[in-house]
Amino acid sequence: MRKALILAIAATALAFTAIGCKDKGNEAGGSGATEDTVKLGLFVSTTGEIATFGGDTKNGAELAVEEINKAGGIKGKTIDLRFYDTASKAEEAGNVATKLATQDKVLVAMGAVASGLSLAAAPVFEQNGVPMVSPSSTNPTVTQQGKNIFRICFLDDFQGGACAVFAYKELGKRKAAIIRNQDDAYSTGLADYFRLKFKALGGEIVADESYKKGTKEFASQITNVKAKEPDIIFLPCYYNDVALLSQQIRGQGIGDDVPMLGGDGWESANLIPNSKGALEGSYFGNHYSPEDPSEHVQAFVKGYKAKYNTAPSSLAALGYDVVYVVKKAIEDAGEFDRAKVRDALAALKDFKGVTGTFSIDENRDARKPISILKVQGDKFLPVKQIQPQDVK
Amino acid sequence: MHRTLLLLVAGVSLAFGVDWFLGEFIEEYVVRIINLCGIAIILAVSLNVINGLCGQFSLGHAGFMAIGAYVSAYFTTTLRVLNTETGETVVRSPLFDGAWGFVPALLIGGMAAAAAGLVVGVPTLRLKGDYLAIATLGFGEIVIIMLTNFESVGAARGLPGLPNYASSFWILTFAWICVVSSVFLQRSTFGRALIAIRENELAAEVMGIRVARLKVMAFIYGAFFAGLAGGLLGHLLRTISPSTFGFMKSIEVVVMLVLGGLGSLTGAIVGAIVLTVLPEALRDVEQQAKLPGIRMVVYALVLILLMIFRPQGIFGQRELSLKLLRRLLPGGRK
Repeated sequence: MRKALILAIAATALAFTAIGCKDKGNEAGGSGATEDTVKLGLFVSTTGEIATFGGDTKNGAELAVEEINKAGGIKGKTIDLRFYDTASKAEEAGNVATKLATQDKVLVAMGAVASGLSLAAAPVFEQNGVPMVSPSSTNPTVTQQGKNIFRICFLDDFQGGACAVFAYKELGKRKAAIIRNQDDAYSTGLADYFRLKFKALGGEIVADESYKKGTKEFASQITNVKAKEPDIIFLPCYYNDVALLSQQIRGQGIGDDVPMLGGDGWESANLIPNSKGALEGSYFGNHYSPEDPSEHVQAFVKGYKAKYNTAPSSLAALGYDVVYVVKKAIEDAGEFDRAKVRDALAALKDFKGVTGTFSIDENRDARKPISILKVQGDKFLPVKQIQPQDVK
Repeated sequence: MHRTLLLLVAGVSLAFGVDWFLGEFIEEYVVRIINLCGIAIILAVSLNVINGLCGQFSLGHAGFMAIGAYVSAYFTTTLRVLNTETGETVVRSPLFDGAWGFVPALLIGGMAAAAAGLVVGVPTLRLKGDYLAIATLGFGEIVIIMLTNFESVGAARGLPGLPNYASSFWILTFAWICVVSSVFLQRSTFGRALIAIRENELAAEVMGIRVARLKVMAFIYGAFFAGLAGGLLGHLLRTISPSTFGFMKSIEVVVMLVLGGLGSLTGAIVGAIVLTVLPEALRDVEQQAKLPGIRMVVYALVLILLMIFRPQGIFGQRELSLKLLRRLLPGGRK
């Protein structure tokens, strides 16, 4: 009887070992490439709170992979894209990162969208020496996690600063009011950096109001803002809040001569219909504009519409660019080797993507321009590009 | 006392051996899931004392985890705070330097959570059933909102860069301590009294059990281990943010308990393992079937089916003991 018990335990242990045994032979050469394929990892959230962002990024990336494979792959090898869902949870991001780095042994990993998830994945990739390129995590601390961690979007500090520069220099505004979502890292980050830059330029922050996540009624904040008579209102929030805020701001009688300004969180097909015209003549900073007449952008917009039957968002554009950045880095490196690809990523210069021409700087962040778009009728029109050197 | 010491030594050396074995022979991905299982076991077993043994329905476990995680991280992590007026970043080096500071930091985190358990427990444990659930849910939300506004720990941005201290050794050691102490607790006068409270509070009081006091003690016990688990999880993920400890986290732990069988220690352990392994195991299924999102559907389906066909959970209130094993194995006495 006791023997049976021991046997049972031994059998389970053995089964366990068989499932998870280290594949020692392959460890040294694990660079993610076989004879005719190269393994790339993609991890974004296609379920959970931020599923729409992840879904768009994935669509953009898959479009790029399809194009590249059709055109003969990277240096003759087709891309084997390993995609995993992170379900908007930090634990899952860490698990997926471990799976991509040690089980799939990808050459380069791409992801995540949300900074909180990128931060959970970054230490794993750093430890395993796998280059990780985030398409759209804007928290400055993400790339500080190690020398293998890159990003191809601009940061909150640049975005906030660029909005301040645009308001002060282009629009000639001097008295700004801020209404921020205090529970959201993105919102408070943008607000803080806008505030710093606007004051440094010589402007005045006449009001800095905050609201809690889920607020629908902003009367008290808007009353306070109105009393201070600002000439511009900065709304570093997501589009659903902006749609409500803008209507209530105009509803309380703050006129069209006080435009509203915001960041890339404004971008959504629902922004204009939901705001019912209140945003006419307002501005926001974005990664790119689908109205951009350049050939490269239009080809991407056309390809995306053909495949998914909808206009590509910024996140889709960044997902598309991240794959081409990785392709360029592998070609520059000349070899399917993680360390060499990492060095090539760090040295990337003047990459022409649909989200602008950019280089990777010494902090492994992208130095790229921000497009300021104007809300006009039912369109977002590009009015100005702010370059990194304009903000520094 | 002698036996406790022996068990502790045995547990620590076992954890040491397993840690070595995992590091040497098992894939990192599997090790990571085992680590998460260990943390889930601490969470489920400690919540079992409150919800299962004592019968008090608490939804505040994530709040205690958050306190443990943030307090321990406060001691082990380099903090960077941006001054929004000047644009300068103030850097503070960790208060406890090196890996030896980890355990003290964890314990302080656990004690902070326990203290919060005391503060919350005294007024809310007068409430019963749904009311208590709502009150503890409220507590969890308060913790999250406070953390979202503490600039020194990163506010809504969260706190990245926690050192890599949560090895399998520490996770398994604390999981062992948690399980063994719960076994003792369950068999002690204290544990029996808790069960009496669960079965009939009035009768228990009549029998001379100090109901209010024992409930608060159970709450503190659960909160302490939740704090420990929070600290371990933080140092495993190496980044924490208030949203990691949202109320869905509390629900997850409750689901583990209900799945395993509310009131059963074995059930809590099995529930924790199943619900940690299942979503990861289904990842490959999803890949093979080329059905994105099917993972979460299957996960939910498992829960629904189990609740229909076995509403008392896998184990009900029974425990898996050597006696039961003997009966089930072929050749055993009936």
